[in-house]
Amino acid sequence: MLIGVLVGAGSVSVVSLAVAALRPHLPVLSLGVLYVFAVLAVAVRWGIALAAVTSVASMLAFNWFFLPPTHTFQLRDGANWAVLAVYLVTAVVVSALAAAARQRSDDAEQRRREADVLAEAAGDLLRGVELTAELDKLADLVAGALHVHGARLELGERDPVPGEHAVPVEVALRRVATLFVADTDAPDPVAVKRFLPALAALIAVAGEKARLEAEALEAAALRQSDVIKTALLRAVSHDLRSPLTAIVASAEALASEQVDLDPADHGALVDAIREEAARLDRVVANLLDVSRLEAGAIESHPELWSVDDLVGQALESVRADGDRIVVELDPQSPPVRVDAAQIERVLANLIENALRFSPPGSPVVVRAEHGTTELRIHVLDRGPGIAAADRASMFQPFRSGAGGGSGLGLAIARGFAEANGGRLWAQDDPSGGHFVVALATEPRPALRV
Amino acid sequence: MSGRVLVVDDEPHILRALKASLRGAGYDVETADSAEGALTAAAVSPPDAIILDLVLPDGRGTDVTRELRTWSSVPVIVLSVVGEESEKVAALDAGADDYVTKPFGVDELLARLRAAMRRVEASHEPVYEVGELRVDLEKQSVSLSGRPVQLTPHEFALLRLFVRNEGKLLTHAAILREVWGRGYGDESHYLHVYVSQLRRKIEPDPARPRYILTEPGAGYRLVAPMS
Repeated sequence: MLIGVLVGAGSVSVVSLAVAALRPHLPVLSLGVLYVFAVLAVAVRWGIALAAVTSVASMLAFNWFFLPPTHTFQLRDGANWAVLAVYLVTAVVVSALAAAARQRSDDAEQRRREADVLAEAAGDLLRGVELTAELDKLADLVAGALHVHGARLELGERDPVPGEHAVPVEVALRRVATLFVADTDAPDPVAVKRFLPALAALIAVAGEKARLEAEALEAAALRQSDVIKTALLRAVSHDLRSPLTAIVASAEALASEQVDLDPADHGALVDAIREEAARLDRVVANLLDVSRLEAGAIESHPELWSVDDLVGQALESVRADGDRIVVELDPQSPPVRVDAAQIERVLANLIENALRFSPPGSPVVVRAEHGTTELRIHVLDRGPGIAAADRASMFQPFRSGAGGGSGLGLAIARGFAEANGGRLWAQDDPSGGHFVVALATEPRPALRV
Repeated sequence: MSGRVLVVDDEPHILRALKASLRGAGYDVETADSAEGALTAAAVSPPDAIILDLVLPDGRGTDVTRELRTWSSVPVIVLSVVGEESEKVAALDAGADDYVTKPFGVDELLARLRAAMRRVEASHEPVYEVGELRVDLEKQSVSLSGRPVQLTPHEFALLRLFVRNEGKLLTHAAILREVWGRGYGDESHYLHVYVSQLRRKIEPDPARPRYILTEPGAGYRLVAPMS
């Protein structure tokens, strides 16, 4: 304001000097219009009130310096009163127009800035940037748009602490967030009233979107777990009951006094009990593994192992049909840092799968290759192979192939491979089933001898 | 084979089956169904071996082992189940000699029991023969099916430990202590790699080991190959 007064006084002085310089050449009355520039300069920057003061000052200066009798505020010629009155009115009208134009341009600029903030915020929030992660950035943008020095945006409502000024961010009378600024720095209420409801609507939409997404995710998870439970019950009733049935029938036959068994039948029944009990044990172990994998409760205890040890342990656990397995290892393979028991399950499940889905007597090849950073163990069979469409879904639990059973083996294999930082996939191979386990290699230790 | 075996399990059916099998194999059998009962029975009339379930109604088999080891060196074989691997390792670290995983076969249990009861002979036999493998500790020479095998000093130390403990489970910690001494350091990370290296020299097919078997999560065991 003080600057406005000084600028007003200065520009009136400058115009007066210009009029004095031009007076020898032009009629003095026609020069009075030059004072409009002084008034305009003030009107554009400091508004109509100071402009009006400046026009009265201009009129007085013109009268004092240039209208006879000079150096008095009296006028010799009565017509000069009319001239002064016209100047005054012109100056006031022009300055009012200028101030209004300036205000409109300021308003337009302000709205543009607010619109920019909303557009940027909307872009971020609807693109899926999480609302809570976005609040600080949003607060900075809002502070910029409202011309305050720093602001905090918090979801919901809380009382301001001393030194803080709380501005509610509301949509339809519902408080979605609160803007906190320094209480010496309260923003323009007009801008607040215009701008914050739009911001509030945006925040409300973003919050709603996040909530709906979370609900959809939860619903999908529930559906998925329902599917798994149903499949689990089906698998349990088949996979647990059939060995149980065999065991009970064999044991009853052995115990029955009505049944007369020759030694061969006796041995066969005993063998059946042992084999079916072992099968039951594998089913239970698989169920336990898959439930721990699904629950994310698998802990790995990685140690350095060589590939022949890992393959050896897997072969040890695959008892049946072991003579069909052809092992091709490179003794130079670097070691891998894995949980051996878990990788044993990966390989054993792949080998059992290959044995089951390929013709009896045909070979199953376990081949290890290594690159610079990766050890790849291939398990190949001469079976029908895997249709491209099934290559992804076959690793889901309970997606059994033609062989019956609960189809947990591949899901467990992939779960354990990934728990050890590895990968497992089915490869396109015209000659039959082809699975690959990839594990990161460690540099070969410099063994002290 | 004879001797007194204390069997500790709280499942009456398992107890009954073990009792029948062990008696059938010529052992005298005592039973207990709790941690406290096990310690009392072992103190009152010391058995020649203990078969101990890891989960008992009044405590853990691991704690029983630790308590037992303060006054007895009786061989202990723990019964573990799938999913309790860390408990099994804890029991071995606490001083158990071996383990079998439920469900187990009687033959497997009897083999473990025999191996655990066979004391490490204090007398250092100069020559061990396991299957086709012949290890002469005096001459520090090893041969497989009559053909000499060249081993590094550490490989030989490993093999010496294995042949002296044929059939027994050697835990990782025990191997490192015996072969590298108490101050072993980084070697512990490479134990499996050393064993693989030894296997490549003495196993006809290293991926199908017949002599040195891996006990996942626990250790290694040297056995005479089944013919």
